[in-house]
Amino acid sequence: MQTVEHAVIAVAGLGSRLGHGKPKCLVEVAGRRILDYQLELLRDVPDVRLVVGYLEHEVIEAAFRLRPDLTLVRNPSYRTTTTQQSYWLGSRHLRGPCLYLDGDIIFEPETFHAFLVQARTHAPLIAVTQAKTEQAVFTAVQPGDADPFLSVTSFSRTDRSLWEWANLACLPPGLLEENGGNVFDRLSLHLPLRAQAIVCCEVDTEGDLAQAETFVAQMHAQQAAGPARHVA
Amino acid sequence: MKNNTAFCFDLDGTVTRLEVLPVIAAELGLAEEIGFLTQMTIRGQIPFEMSFRLRCRLLADIEVDTVAHIVEDVPLDEEIADFIRARREHCYVVTGNLNVWVRRLVGRLGCGVYSSTADARPNGKLGALTSILRKGTAIRDLRSQYDRVVCVGEGFNDLPMFEEADIGVAYGGVHPPAREVIENADYVVGQGATLCKLLNTL
Repeated sequence: MQTVEHAVIAVAGLGSRLGHGKPKCLVEVAGRRILDYQLELLRDVPDVRLVVGYLEHEVIEAAFRLRPDLTLVRNPSYRTTTTQQSYWLGSRHLRGPCLYLDGDIIFEPETFHAFLVQARTHAPLIAVTQAKTEQAVFTAVQPGDADPFLSVTSFSRTDRSLWEWANLACLPPGLLEENGGNVFDRLSLHLPLRAQAIVCCEVDTEGDLAQAETFVAQMHAQQAAGPARHVA
Repeated sequence: MKNNTAFCFDLDGTVTRLEVLPVIAAELGLAEEIGFLTQMTIRGQIPFEMSFRLRCRLLADIEVDTVAHIVEDVPLDEEIADFIRARREHCYVVTGNLNVWVRRLVGRLGCGVYSSTADARPNGKLGALTSILRKGTAIRDLRSQYDRVVCVGEGFNDLPMFEEADIGVAYGGVHPPAREVIENADYVVGQGATLCKLLNTL
């Protein structure tokens, strides 16, 4: 599959809201680690970088077992920096667009791959998903310049909408900043942004984890039943 | 790639697919003795300099050219070797091994080298150790010629190199890097091809 050249997964954080005492990428959903699901989706991306912090040795060991050609990038300041800093470190020095994703999300494969195909030639491109998480960053969404694109015109924690920021983006080099704040605040400087809808399930809390188990079970059932239909 | 970047590579277990000294030792029937010292050194249980002096003593009766020929045939990670050959003016092998032992091997790469040094006696045997390389010294020396120094290594004796370099890559292609090396690195990679891909993006 034609795809992006570079992907950065941020897995440095403590995962304290979930409180399993390990980075969320190593938490199992339906018997498999979240990292395992994500690396499978990125198997055609030649340069995959994992930004590690909390329990880095454990993550490095597990990651190399899953994919020996990974590049691990260290974020030693993970306790005091945001995901943007991990993304910045992961893609530092790159001269082409890069895919960025949070390491605590289960993505539905079909819409993820559709995003990857468009991301290759349409960066910046960000992903939105139907609003459902407890601490959603809502996005105001309008029809985009061409199908299947949407257009994001604002991010907000308070102005509720049907859509939320999905913590998946393909961005050109230089768009993120060192030691910056939230990723969506940085993206706000570049609105309106072309967006595409995906189906995914983020794991921040014990409740999310239960939802993710159901989500994976539904995906498996759909796969078993034949071509999937998605509410995008 | 910028021309103002120097790339420094540890030799044993980074550029070479095997540790050099155990290969020498096996050829000369000293595998057990040298292997023990190497493991102690990798784990940081004895200082590199002491270990190195002991290893040199064990090999003192062998003609240096015999050792240099054995070392020359140690298999290289071909992808790393190709990277070095393609940028030989900006690549350096930084090794605690002796100049008289590694000169043929480094000749295969055509790059610069920082190493420990010893004399060869008129009878071809190893003479006095004249210097033992502290790897941080090599990085400091290169600073006068380059804006930026990138280092690649895996063992305890690479730590001074990581402390001085601008960018450090812990390399686990032969064996897992020492934890302390990882904790002083910017990147960790496990394969030669990945390493070269990363270096090409820096």
